[in-house]
Amino acid sequence: MALQTPTSHEQEWREDLRKVGFVRRLLAGRRWYGTDWWLVAISAVMVLGFITLALFPSVFAPYSPDEQAGPRFLAPGASPDLPVLVSLATSGITELADLAVPTGEPRPSVGVVRGVPTAQALNDRAQELNQELNGTGMELRPRIARFDSLDELLRAVDDGTVVAAVVQSTEFEQLAGDFPTVGEGMSIAGGVSSEGGFILGTNQIGQDVFSRLIWGTRIALLIGFSASIIALVVGVPLGLLAGFTGGMLDRILSVIMDSLYAFPGLILAISITAVLGPSVLNVIVAIAVLYIPTYYRIVRGQTLSVKEELYIEAARSIGARSSEILRKYIYPNVIPSVAIIFSVNVADAILTGAGLSFLGLGLPPDTADWGIDLARGQGFIQNAWWLITFPGFAIMLVVLAFTMMGEGLMEIFNPKLRQR
Amino acid sequence: MSPLSLIFLIIGGPAALGLVYIFVRGSAGLRRYIVTRIALTLPMVFILASLVFFVLRVIPGDPVSSALGPKGSPETVARLSEQLGLGDPLLVQYGRFLGSVVTLDFGNSLTGAHRPIVDEMSERFPATLELVIPAAILSLAIGIFGGAFAASRRRRTADYSLRLYSVIIYSLPIFWLGLMLQLLFGVKLGWLPIAGRVDAVIGTTLHHITNIYSIDAILTGNWPALRSVLAHLVLPTLTLGLILSGVFVRLTRINVIETLQQDYVEAARARGIRERVVIYNHALKNAMIPVITLIGLQVAILLAGAVLTETVFSWPGMGRYLVERISSRDYTAVQSVITMFALFVALISLAVDILYSLVDPRVRY
Repeated sequence: MALQTPTSHEQEWREDLRKVGFVRRLLAGRRWYGTDWWLVAISAVMVLGFITLALFPSVFAPYSPDEQAGPRFLAPGASPDLPVLVSLATSGITELADLAVPTGEPRPSVGVVRGVPTAQALNDRAQELNQELNGTGMELRPRIARFDSLDELLRAVDDGTVVAAVVQSTEFEQLAGDFPTVGEGMSIAGGVSSEGGFILGTNQIGQDVFSRLIWGTRIALLIGFSASIIALVVGVPLGLLAGFTGGMLDRILSVIMDSLYAFPGLILAISITAVLGPSVLNVIVAIAVLYIPTYYRIVRGQTLSVKEELYIEAARSIGARSSEILRKYIYPNVIPSVAIIFSVNVADAILTGAGLSFLGLGLPPDTADWGIDLARGQGFIQNAWWLITFPGFAIMLVVLAFTMMGEGLMEIFNPKLRQR
Repeated sequence: MSPLSLIFLIIGGPAALGLVYIFVRGSAGLRRYIVTRIALTLPMVFILASLVFFVLRVIPGDPVSSALGPKGSPETVARLSEQLGLGDPLLVQYGRFLGSVVTLDFGNSLTGAHRPIVDEMSERFPATLELVIPAAILSLAIGIFGGAFAASRRRRTADYSLRLYSVIIYSLPIFWLGLMLQLLFGVKLGWLPIAGRVDAVIGTTLHHITNIYSIDAILTGNWPALRSVLAHLVLPTLTLGLILSGVFVRLTRINVIETLQQDYVEAARARGIRERVVIYNHALKNAMIPVITLIGLQVAILLAGAVLTETVFSWPGMGRYLVERISSRDYTAVQSVITMFALFVALISLAVDILYSLVDPRVRY
């Protein structure tokens, strides 16, 4: 039997791949890699999900992140305090438009509680609807009757003194049990479709926490990916160069990189952003600087060990140029570990970025960012737990996804570790 | 004597004595190693200090006027700039800065009370030590015992849960863990205070000696103060210690598993020694060697974590000081704090490496 050359192996593999298909092959991998395959698969799905969120936040977020979408400090799942229409359950009146009557007929009277802004809301909305009805022969101009308390008002609805009433929904819900005949209709605010619309609540200026979370994915991933890519683009060539050429250059670079590596990264990033001023780009640059030594050290170490291999010597002896050796023999050996570091590195960079913005350094203060939201929410820890709970949870999930992917990839790429 | 120099004396004194002892009694190889290692620390400090100096020099605008803000009259600005020697050539300023690093005299702060920065640090640095040291001990305890336990229960539920623990802990933002602990133990349960180092009223009775409050309270026998100080310490220490423990669990586990596969462990088992003794007495000792190296590297993470923990818990330490000074654009203070951090990191990694060379005789130059 003839010895198989590497090229025929490769051909066989390609043939195989063509027959089986790439996707099926990927799926078949779980038989060999077991748990690690699942780890990578699950985290890859999570990562893809986060990337989708980051690319199209407006599709998933019900509100814009800066929009003052509802009342302040609304707890998760609680319905906002809206002016709603209540009437006798038997009357069939559920929305304001039901109160329209043909022009000239007696105008219906609607009750409100004195001193509560519901009267204003009712007036505004009724005028709007009335404009729309213009020319149809109908009109909507309710008479507003004022009562001293909600209890009194509801009793008036109950005995028919007023046709309907406009009340604040939360106050009404507290008394609703006492008036079984009175039913809750729709919000008169019309446009605001926020019936239970704030699943994670609202913050101190009435922004939707959920929407800010989704938009925050964008800035987190932007910082994580860009910083890691910059660090990679700078660190990998430097590591290759230092490891390959050795000598004085290697020694100087290594001392600088080791000093940087030993220094607390966040503190370095803090000082760099303090100098550069607050902007997304500056945060990215500051974090990228931190992670250059990580790539440098790994690549340099790998290059040093690969350089001593016999096949490099062989290549050199048949007259291969240095650039060729670097490109063809060393580079492919270094790449898998770089891929693993990259994944873990993105996770790290996201954490560092969040830390910076939590400290109030780096990002402009109005950015929809998880770190900024946490820092703002800390002041309201006594009564608004949701403000400090969800953004941190989001950070954890994203970081977990990238870390798990790195872990799984490490096991798959580096089977030697599987012995452990 | 300022508290800062007192602390340096308390920690540095025995360390220096130990170093002298090792140096006198150690082998020639060990001696050469220590000398080389100390010689390598100097360029590291030098590089970091230079980096700090030149990076901060890029600040757009005049540091004095930006620190004083609109309140600073032209005369004050001119006088301060003169005092700081900002008009001198860059190299002269650089030389003066390196001199200040050697003498640890960083001048006065630009903003606030214009106190000597060393005085401010002698209040802040002990606070950070008080937070960082128990946190490091806690994380090592969790890490070493958790890691060894996971290794002994390999591929069983305990192992998987501890591995999951270390991955999740690694992914937690430290400030969020702090906030969640505050929410649970401070706000919902109301068991522990969530901010500061000591109760404000009790704090006035505390006599400051080292500025490490728990030690001061013990030295003066002020038990109510000690109680309050310890209560304030629990949550920040827990936050920082838990975050660091993940890495230690992971590393100890891998190393114990590796050591357990070695022949001498097998031999110990063959002699009928109980598995628990094999793991905790025989394997753990050798497995600790790489863990010790990691401690040196973790100091960086510990300090970075301390900055965030201090911010969350309003803990008046060095990290909080740094963030405050950055907000008030006080560049002399910022420069000094970062330099202090660099010195601290360099010294700790020096100490760890020397310890390492004692534990593992294979490490020599």
